[in-house]
Amino acid sequence: MEHRKALSQMPENLKKYLLENELISGKPLIFAEADMTLECEFLHHVLILTDKGLTVGSAPELTKELIKNAPSPKQEREWERYAFENYPLDRIKKCATDSLVVGGVLRLELDGVERPLCAYTNAYKGGINRICDVLKLLMDGKDIPEDKLFREERIEKCPKCGRRYPNRDRKVCPKCMDKRKIFFRLGSFFKPYAPQIVLMCLMSVLTAAMSTVWPYLNGSILYDGVLSKNKNILFLDKIPVSDFFILLGLLAVTMAGCKLLQQLFGIIQGRAVARVVPNVVSTIKKKVFGSIQRLSVSFFTNKRTGGLMTRITADANQVSDIFIDGIPHVLPNLFTLGFAFIVMFSTNWILALTAVVSLPIAAFISFKLQPRMWHYNSKMHQTSRDYRARFNDNLVGARVVRAFGMESHEEESLSAENDRTYDAQYSAMKFDIKFSALYEIAKSLTALLVWGVGVCFVLAVFKPQMTYGQLVTFTGYVSLLSDPANFFSHIFRWWSGSMTAAQRIFEIIDAKPDVVETTSPVEVKDLKGELKLENVTFGYEENREVIKDVCLGVPAGKMLGIVGKSGAGKSTLANLITRLYDPNSGHIYIDGTDIREMSFADIRRSVALVSQETYIFRGTIFENIAYANPNADKRDVLNAAKAAFAHDFICKLPDGYDTYVGTGGRSLSGGERQRVSIARAILADPKILILDEATAAVDTETERNIQSALEKLSVGRTTLSIAHRISTLRDADMLVVVEDGKIVEQGTHDELIRKKGTYFKLVQIQNEALKLRGIGD
Amino acid sequence: MSGDILKDEQQKAEQLLAMNMLTPENAVFRETAGGFVAVTVNGEDKGHVNVIRTFPLSDADEYLSVRLPDGKQEEIGLIEKLTDFDETTVEIISKQLKLRYFMPRILKIIEVKEQYGYTYWTVETDKGKAKFASSSGSAGAVIRHGEGAIVKDSNENRYLIEDISRLTPKELKKLDLYL
Repeated sequence: MEHRKALSQMPENLKKYLLENELISGKPLIFAEADMTLECEFLHHVLILTDKGLTVGSAPELTKELIKNAPSPKQEREWERYAFENYPLDRIKKCATDSLVVGGVLRLELDGVERPLCAYTNAYKGGINRICDVLKLLMDGKDIPEDKLFREERIEKCPKCGRRYPNRDRKVCPKCMDKRKIFFRLGSFFKPYAPQIVLMCLMSVLTAAMSTVWPYLNGSILYDGVLSKNKNILFLDKIPVSDFFILLGLLAVTMAGCKLLQQLFGIIQGRAVARVVPNVVSTIKKKVFGSIQRLSVSFFTNKRTGGLMTRITADANQVSDIFIDGIPHVLPNLFTLGFAFIVMFSTNWILALTAVVSLPIAAFISFKLQPRMWHYNSKMHQTSRDYRARFNDNLVGARVVRAFGMESHEEESLSAENDRTYDAQYSAMKFDIKFSALYEIAKSLTALLVWGVGVCFVLAVFKPQMTYGQLVTFTGYVSLLSDPANFFSHIFRWWSGSMTAAQRIFEIIDAKPDVVETTSPVEVKDLKGELKLENVTFGYEENREVIKDVCLGVPAGKMLGIVGKSGAGKSTLANLITRLYDPNSGHIYIDGTDIREMSFADIRRSVALVSQETYIFRGTIFENIAYANPNADKRDVLNAAKAAFAHDFICKLPDGYDTYVGTGGRSLSGGERQRVSIARAILADPKILILDEATAAVDTETERNIQSALEKLSVGRTTLSIAHRISTLRDADMLVVVEDGKIVEQGTHDELIRKKGTYFKLVQIQNEALKLRGIGD
Repeated sequence: MSGDILKDEQQKAEQLLAMNMLTPENAVFRETAGGFVAVTVNGEDKGHVNVIRTFPLSDADEYLSVRLPDGKQEEIGLIEKLTDFDETTVEIISKQLKLRYFMPRILKIIEVKEQYGYTYWTVETDKGKAKFASSSGSAGAVIRHGEGAIVKDSNENRYLIEDISRLTPKELKKLDLYL
């Protein structure tokens, strides 16, 4: 039962074949695939690890078609044609992987000779690393933790159509995603504005109606009725006016009225749009921002958040575009199209057919070429963005540019960038001209054809005879057709693009935080601050552990110093104790309660972190300090600032505690920022205080001040102090030395010095460095 | 005692700072029984090593870094110019470089299609027909590489176009928007 889950990744028929033919021995543990030979050829490999050894099977022939993340057909493999080789555990001495530019190589030491086994591309990296990890454990005779075997395989294909996900980190199949569902979900954003939307639709239908009346007025009625002084045309006989001049005047007024009404409807529609769009866009942004706040820290360290805000804004606009310029126009366009068709076909079906046959040419040109146009435009925007960025670099780096005397070099490279912008603009314009010309020609072609054939009708070459006014009306309708035709040729692509943008937005809104608050938290009262870590293992990425099996205990009110080189995993420990991340295995307890059982509010209240990254947000200094405790009054804030040695520098600022800081405000120095964050921590009054290189960025004197502030602060609190400057840890009750994610030494300062191990070495090196500095001075 | 530790550390630092140039005079490369590159420097056998290009795009055969394969992958030395070595050495090292920097060469661009926000490529490579997707919009799906270009798919696999000027006008048109 145990290994069935892990083996479920292994094709059933392979398992059956291997067992029937006794090609593997022992209990199958884990399965992986590879796709390359060492001679750079593509060849499918399967690797099966049992508790007795490793079996590698290679396909009989090279892979002919490389299908990476495009749609791929389901493949049936003929296992009996595979060549299997068995490597018993007792022959394997070492197992390792080498990373290549793409993928890697798996190597084993067999009978004393190290040899490569197979190569693989990125898609198979995870599986091979896992097999290597488990094999190492087997060789060491260690127990294999269950999660090594049970780890979920990444799903990389759409379960519906078998298409590989174009992006492995986003399990979204662009083809199968339910666009209709997304559409209706989006609709919910517009629901509060239903009256405005109805008004918008109504207005656009009215506008369309007005435009369909127009050809009648300026064609049949104007030419055949009023100008020909013919009362039999349409409803002119019903107007009790005999003077055709007055009729002409009336017609002019009607036509002007028509245009005026059209404008009026346009204005009403525009106002409704102006009300709806910004509101919907801001609702979407609010929702996205709200859910971002809920997400765990890991979301932000993930690379896909690059340019998050720009993307959200662009996506939100794209989504609302379709609702404003797309959907409301479907009805009026259909209306125009239908109405024009009916009138055209009832007037003269041959002429109507002429128009209908030639009209799609223009729509087709637009359908085919418009996307290229968009592409040229985006290229143009890209280059001008690059130019601006380059220009900005130059301005920001002005000091460096001048210090190295690189002014002329900068000028040259900026002008090269400028040339690229010019080229992109030039080719975009060139294409635009080409496109417009072609499109207009195609459109004029239709008009010319209709005019040409139409004239034959007017001159009675073709029967039935048409009047001139009828022809004008007719061509008027033909030109009315081109907009809807163009609209419908794009709407589907447009819709699809908008739904993709919406999907991206919903992905953020729906994203589940990795660190989830328990639904029934244990109530904790009067915390003492005893901290315990039990077999904690953690890694930010799959297969890369940063913290390995760490056990730690800090009695309430004591100070623990954590020493180690950079990259040893010290700050990661702080991240785990504040529960920014959850450990992969093991537990963290505060006063005997697993922090996973505690509410976020309780954890945040009992643990405070002062780190080297100080966060000063836009607002006054008072607000910045009171951030941790919004109920704090002025006196509390003053006390905290005083305790953090921040009061004096704040007093010297002209606006005192009301000084506006953060982006756009007054900038504080590193030490000042540090002290503001310490004041914030003091105000939070936590039971457990974590100082992560809290004094790393400041000068010696400031450090001394901050140090005494911290000493005051740590009285009666459990303190974890992380530092690479050992001098700051002298007062610690206990010290641990972390190396490569593990605790290698533990004890008091004196004990560790006596031990003459890593800690002793670090102390010696730092003392020597100080001496050297003394000489230099 | 403390003096020893300091000397030790200083030595380590000096080793890290030194530019150890490997030349035919001080380094002998050989192939191991398993098919790896191994090196002996000044008579000291360093065993199996990895050879890495420091300028993989602009200069493939100059300044190669020779490193230990495991642990911290310490650098043993730099080869200034691979061609300074004898033919066998060049062959052994080239074989390893070929695998490390392997990318299928694109011989023909059959189709580049933009769909659902991704660019789907169908190309003919020296290793057979290949289909892959790159995310459109993101800059850097195609990076220029000398006369040619490298296409990166969304799984970070790479494909090489050796010489853009050798593409047919039709292929160039398909590629144009991404360059």
